[in-house]
This record gives sequence, structure tokens and C-alpha cells, in this order.
Amino acid sequence: MRENVENKCIIFGIGNSGRQDDGLGWAFLDLLKKNEFEKVSFEYKYQLQIEDAELISNYDSVIFVDASKNDLMIGYKFDTCRASNKYCFSTHALVPETILYLSEHLYNHKPKAFILEIQGYEWELKNGLTKKASDNLNRATEFFNQKYSSDILKA
Amino acid sequence: MKKLVIDPVTRVEGHGKVTIHLDENNKVKDSFFHIVEFRGFERFIQGHPYWEAPVLVQRLCGICPVSHHLAAAKAIDQIVGVNPEDLSLTAQKIRKLLHFGQLFQSHALHFFYLASPDLLFGVNADPAKRNVAEVAIEHTDLAKKGILMRKFGQEIIKTIAGKRIHGISAVPGGVHKKITLQDRDYFLNSKDIPSIDAMINWSKEIIDFLKGYHDVNKKWLDEFADYPSGHLGLVNKENGFLELYDGNLRALDANGKVILNDVPNDDYIQYFNEGVEKWTYLKFPYLKDLGKDKGWNRVGPLARINVCNGIETPLAEEERIIFKLATHNKINNKTMYSHWARLIEMLYCAEMMKNLLNDEDILSNDLVRKGERRNEGIGIIEAPRGTLIHHYEVDDKDRITRCNLIVSTTHNNEPMNQAVKWVAKNVISGEPTITEGMLNQVEVAIRAYDPCLSCATHALGQMPLHVTLLDHNGNLLDERKR
Repeated sequence: MRENVENKCIIFGIGNSGRQDDGLGWAFLDLLKKNEFEKVSFEYKYQLQIEDAELISNYDSVIFVDASKNDLMIGYKFDTCRASNKYCFSTHALVPETILYLSEHLYNHKPKAFILEIQGYEWELKNGLTKKASDNLNRATEFFNQKYSSDILKA
Repeated sequence: MKKLVIDPVTRVEGHGKVTIHLDENNKVKDSFFHIVEFRGFERFIQGHPYWEAPVLVQRLCGICPVSHHLAAAKAIDQIVGVNPEDLSLTAQKIRKLLHFGQLFQSHALHFFYLASPDLLFGVNADPAKRNVAEVAIEHTDLAKKGILMRKFGQEIIKTIAGKRIHGISAVPGGVHKKITLQDRDYFLNSKDIPSIDAMINWSKEIIDFLKGYHDVNKKWLDEFADYPSGHLGLVNKENGFLELYDGNLRALDANGKVILNDVPNDDYIQYFNEGVEKWTYLKFPYLKDLGKDKGWNRVGPLARINVCNGIETPLAEEERIIFKLATHNKINNKTMYSHWARLIEMLYCAEMMKNLLNDEDILSNDLVRKGERRNEGIGIIEAPRGTLIHHYEVDDKDRITRCNLIVSTTHNNEPMNQAVKWVAKNVISGEPTITEGMLNQVEVAIRAYDPCLSCATHALGQMPLHVTLLDHNGNLLDERKR
């Protein structure tokens, strides 16, 4: 496909910037792109679909970034994504764990995978993040740049 | 009296809810398919400059934004004085290629991701199994092809509109850029993507699969949600063939009699009205002459194959003829045949994409035409789910003063309610125990229409199905989540 298979890492921002804090995933990508990482692809998604299993099978590592309604102690949570089909609810949108599971089963490739949740608060039809969500985004970005970007994105 | 609630209906685009009212003996008293989200696009687009409409209305949907983009663009063309036939050949063909890419990927999404679990595993299978991930694991080859077919359509969209979702191609009077040789070469000669011939061959394979399924399950496909209805769609202005981008409106009644005879787009308002009900935000369009109770029509693949005289591409036409033989060339009111019709349209789109990709006109710089400014524009297109109508009025300051949208799923509102009633009456009514499989059959009937109820985006971890059983006072008797 058109995606550059030489790239090592792909980062998914999941959400919708027209629904307030649901735009956290995209906003994270916007900030990260300023770093001009090499060998990194950025993918803005409303929802994950099964074809994303094919897409991530071309990469060594993948990071899924999404807004979260969960109450997170420091406003964000970064964790390993473990392949699983247990979240296969009866609908058309898939979760990161299932995408990873399908990549392994359909394409015999399981990249290193991580999930970054960033806590949001408001979800109405409106552009722009809330102040608290923006603060969480900045904290998450700072954390990511300091602790993980060099390991994951420049490996 | 008891009330069954299915909320939300799953494997459809957007959120809907079904309620089925039962009496003390579990006999169905009534049923409703509700659309519970209110969006208000027609209202908040008012006041915007008309040239923003094709961009703004895309936000109606994350699945078929291209259809809204093109329907609005066709209407806005008229505001700038350009009729569909007056667009440059380049603009017409690039828009059609975009449209076929959209239909191809949308139909692939529906068949492989949403409908196939019911067909492959059965409507009564364990709900944990009825999903696309299980299809991928047990039918790997089918799943891989489905993925690449959807991706091919999305790549067409991305090439023309810049993005897979919410890109921009059409501008008032044309398109904003041509297709380059490099773009075209990517689809015709690149090894980075399966060829257009592969798309055609795989489309035929999937139709063969469905015909085999039909041979084994004919009785069920014939009888499940078979009920009389009108059928509405665009047809080619010259020969009455299948037409998805620009044609005349034709409707047939449940017996195949013509009830709307090739009406030009601009006249639609003379023939259609929209009813409302308190229990749903979705309107109920109908033909004025026949009234609300008898004037409703199915739209979408089944209706389109029913109303057209033929298909211009040879392979799809062969399949249409076989499809028609299944009902002895009579009109087809069998809801489950929608899947078969949808696959025939996929094949048609693949053939048309091949024709257009090989057409030199798409490489030309003749992109935009101009005409004499008007104050009204109507754009009608066949979206994946059926006839889509955009109607705008603008003032002399270029602001939109009125907007009327009749989207495909709105036409299918009454047909889907009829489908729910059929299942309630024929599957659920009088049964001592209501099983999950029975409730899924309600969804199967709705799902055949591939309804696009709205585009909702969810944060991590959200999207439950919650089924509740309530007594006549609204007290909770039972509930189930999945």
C-alpha cells in the first residue's frame, strides 16, 4: 500500500476533533509531529477498523493514542498493548488489542504495541479541548517525549 | 404488557434502538425502530456561504462522507449555474471515480465486516462469535480479500480527495485537481496495491460465494423479512440503466408497476413529502400521490437493481440477469437479497473504476466550468445506502437560507420499521422464551439495509449493547449486556 514500509513505527491518534476532548488523540499527533521524527508514520483515525491490522503488519512498533473517560491518576496512562480477542464486541469498530491480535493471526506479524490513554471530560459537538484535557495532553506529551520517544521512535 | 428493548442496534453505522411491545402471552402488540440521536445539520448549515456546503455536510458521516460531498457539490454546481451535463468531462469522470471508490469500499465494509458474521456463522450463533474478528480467524482468505477491497476503494478516495475520510475534491462547477499519471500508475501498474483486475475477480468470487449460500439457504433468504414495498432509485436518463451519479428518479410498487416515471432531479419536491412521528428523530419520506401509508419506498442496492433496466458493464449485467431469475424476473421484495444486490453493485463499481482509470480524460486540466448565478440547487445521488437528496436555497449575499436533506436511511425508515414488525410477528410473537438469537434476527433484518444512523465517535472502552426487558409500567424484568 501507499504507506512507506521502511518506517519503523506508526502512531494512531483515535477520536474526533469536532467532539471536544475526543480530539485528544489527534491533538497528541499534532504536537508530536513538531519533533520531525524520522521513520515514524502518523495516522488520524475516527475508529479502528480491521484493515488497520494489515497496516500495522508493515511496522515494527505501533502506538494507539485515544481519549479516555476513565479517571486516570495523573491524567494519562501509558501501557503495553496485549493482543486479545476478548474485546470483540458485536460491532464494527475494533479496539487496539483486537487489531494487534488480527495482525498476528492474519499476517503473522505482531509489532511492539502500546496504548496511551489521555483523560478527557467533555464530548459535545464543539471544536477545542477543555482546559483540563489540554493540561493532561501536555503532561502526556512531555512524559512521552522524555521517557519513551527515544526508545520507541528512534530505535 | 412487556416491552423488549434493543439498544443500541449493533453492526450498523450510528445508534438506533428497537422496542417491541408484548402482551401477557408474549404476543407482539407493536414494534418501533427509533433513531435516538438528533443532529440538526439542516438548521446549523443555514447562514454559511454556499461554497462551504460540500465540505460541511461531509461531517454528517464517517462512512459515506463522499456521497454527501458529491450530492452537495451537484446542488452547488447549480447555484453557480452549471448543470450536471455541463461539467467538464474531466470533472464528471473524476467525481464518478471518487463515487465508485466510495461505494466499493462502503459495500465491502458492510458485507465483510457487518453482514458476513450472520451469514457465515448463522443468526443464532454465539454472539461472541458473530463479529468480524472471528470471520478473520476462521475465513482468513475471505477476510484478507475483504480488507484489501475496502482499502482499494479508500485509496481511490485518498488519491482524489486527499484523505480517506472528509477529504475535498469537488468545488463549485468542477473538481480542484486532476489525476496525475503517477496516481493512475499506482492503481494500474503498481505492485504496492492489488490490481483493479483483482478487484473485479474478487468481486465475482464473492458473488459466487453468495450464490452458493443462496443455493443452500434459499428458503430462509426467500422468506425472511419478505414484505411488499415500493422501490426507488436513480436510472440513466437515456436508457433506464443502473445510475449512481446522475439520473432520473424512478419508483416501482411492490408488484413492479411504475409509480414514479423517470422524474428529473429538480422536480423531486413535487412528488415527495416527509412525515414525522413522536418516537423517532428520523422522518418518513413518501410519495405524495400515494400518501404516507402507501407511498414509502425502499432505497439502496435491492431497490436499484429492481428499478433499473440493465447495467452497462458486462460482468455486472450477467450477474443482474441471474439475480432476476431468482424471482422469475419479477420485482424482488425479499430483504435478504439486498446482500446479493450489494455485491453486484460492487462488481459494477470495480468495472467502472477500471474504465475510468483507463480514460485519458481524468488526466486533463479542464477542471472547472462557470455559469450564471442562481439561488437554488438540488443534488441527487445514489449513495451506498440509497437515494440521497440535497436541496439548498441561497440569498444574494451567498448565504444558505434553506437546506433540506433526505438521506438514504431516511427513505428506508419505514422499510426498516416494517422489517422489525416482520421479525416481531414471525419470529418472536407468542414464543415462551425470547432468546438472544431472536433479538439478533431483528438486527439482521435492519442490518440488511446497511443503515447509516449517524456517525458517532467513542472514546476508549465505550460501545455496549444493552438489552432490557420492561413490564408495562417500565419496571425492569430482565437485562442483558454485550
